[in-house]
Amino acid sequence: MAEYDERARRLTLKLVYYGPAASGKTTNLMRLHDALRPELKGEIMTLETHNDRTLFFDLLPLGFRAPSGLLIKFKLFTVPGQVAHDGTRKAVLSRADGVVFVADSQRAQAVNNGASFDNLADNAARVGLDFDTLPLVVQFNKRDLPDILTTEEIAGRWAGAPWPMKLASALTGHGVIDTFAALLATLYARVAPTYGLDTEHGLGERDFVTAALGRPS
Amino acid sequence: MKLPDGALAGTPLPHESFDREWALAELLGADEQADLAQRLGSLIGAPVALVAGTDAPAADDRHAAALKLDIEPLGWLSGQRAHADALDAAAALVRHILMARQRYKMASALHIESVHADYVALIDKHHALEASEARYRALAAELEARVAEQVQLIETRQRQLYQAERLASIGQLAAGMAHEINNPVGFVRSNLNSARSYVNQLAGALQAAEQGDAEAWHKIDARFVLEDFSALLTDCIDGIDRVAAIVRDLKGFSNVDRDEVGEIDFHASLGELCRLLKPRLPGGARLKVTGEAAHRLPCRPGHLHQALFNVLDNAIRAIAPGGSIMIRCSLAGGRQRVEIADDGCGIAPAALPRVFDPFFTTREVGHGIGLGLTLARDVILAQGGQIRLDSRPGEGTRVYIELPLEIVG
Repeated sequence: MAEYDERARRLTLKLVYYGPAASGKTTNLMRLHDALRPELKGEIMTLETHNDRTLFFDLLPLGFRAPSGLLIKFKLFTVPGQVAHDGTRKAVLSRADGVVFVADSQRAQAVNNGASFDNLADNAARVGLDFDTLPLVVQFNKRDLPDILTTEEIAGRWAGAPWPMKLASALTGHGVIDTFAALLATLYARVAPTYGLDTEHGLGERDFVTAALGRPS
Repeated sequence: MKLPDGALAGTPLPHESFDREWALAELLGADEQADLAQRLGSLIGAPVALVAGTDAPAADDRHAAALKLDIEPLGWLSGQRAHADALDAAAALVRHILMARQRYKMASALHIESVHADYVALIDKHHALEASEARYRALAAELEARVAEQVQLIETRQRQLYQAERLASIGQLAAGMAHEINNPVGFVRSNLNSARSYVNQLAGALQAAEQGDAEAWHKIDARFVLEDFSALLTDCIDGIDRVAAIVRDLKGFSNVDRDEVGEIDFHASLGELCRLLKPRLPGGARLKVTGEAAHRLPCRPGHLHQALFNVLDNAIRAIAPGGSIMIRCSLAGGRQRVEIADDGCGIAPAALPRVFDPFFTTREVGHGIGLGLTLARDVILAQGGQIRLDSRPGEGTRVYIELPLEIVG
């Protein structure tokens, strides 16, 4: 849950990139780090990897100051995708304010996507997140690869799902900012009333998204 | 079983979360801070101070280099403005130390959280297993109760069937017995009628003699009358004895009040049974007992008589007029063997495997419900015996029965 520190005048929002193993969660974070130009941007902290697989998490800190002077701080995390690391995944997902589900578009990965999405729903319930109101964006990554699900197939399979759906090729950066922007928009709708972002801090939705993205290059 | 709550498994408090804001004091202890400041001061050649906080310490004559791990400073390295470059370089060095500390602290906090998450998942699974086990236990108990209930029902039904079978065979026997009883009853009555007329004749002769008729006794041939009267009474007594014997046999067979285990004279029982069944034999047929039968045989008399009756009843129905039924007995190895052989119609091969099945019958409706051999087998198995059956169509049937002379267990 968002952490509001009155004394430090800081609102921290935790965003988690979830999804099956090797679907491109860390790549999403790396592209965001390269492309975003917010007022404040930290380095990616990669805690530990094994054969290029995330073992704990990656963390990208971003932030900007609202007109009121309130520091809006984003902490973007990735979870380890491997099935075995479910305990870590749950711990990282705890207290999340928003989630990007990074699915692998390759046909062979359809089952893994489904299992991971179910795991997300289960774990969200376990760590006390309301899955129905949790800001969530689904990204179909790896659009640059052959033998992937077509846009029509994806639309057919996810018809009726309430979440924004984005296509991306994180390796080239395509769709990565678009996905993040979509999450920021739903996130704003969810947290703005609680913390008076619009009323007390003079921060509308458009400004919120633009400031977080900076001037993307 | 309850798993003990370990210190590691407790829900992490908010300030222990791996993703919290880390303060300088958490990453570097006060002693370490002082030590680091002193060593950096030696390197720079002027005193430096480590200051915690996001905002720069306000002092016009001093330079403060930010210690920033993410996007906000968590502390400052402050010193004389003259050493600004050195302070910036030292701050970069301190940042590396802090980064390493933070990575270590985050990893360890995350590890504790994930261990807790795994532990909670295990507890959940454990509770689910316990619930499932309890369900299965309840189900098993319920099934056991139901089975016991069904067994009791079956036992009740079986007792009722035994009773019904026995009553039915007593009825069949009674039909045969009626003739046997009617016969003596008939001639006893006819004899008594004759006796009454003899009494009248004798009374008339007595009266005439008293009135002086010297020929009165001669006239009625009193000597013959008395001789015949005596013979009539002897016949009557024989007839009554026959009826009494039939009733005794029937009572012995039926044994309605003897379901408990007892000892019988098997030899005498077979004799009784044969006498009871003889009236039902087709014309000219023979029923004979040969060999050695035990005088003391433990059994449930009512049940065993019923079993033997059922086997013999089948034999009687199978044979033709002039046929024969042989009951061959022998004692060997502590067991009474009985072979009941008839030369009747035999059993078709297709029906042979099913003769002991409940409710299997080849007879017409109303002539048997198909429990005779089933009951015979149940009774004989129940007292530790064996029964088997051989038959060829047209050649007859042999039933082999073995009964232990001592009941085991």
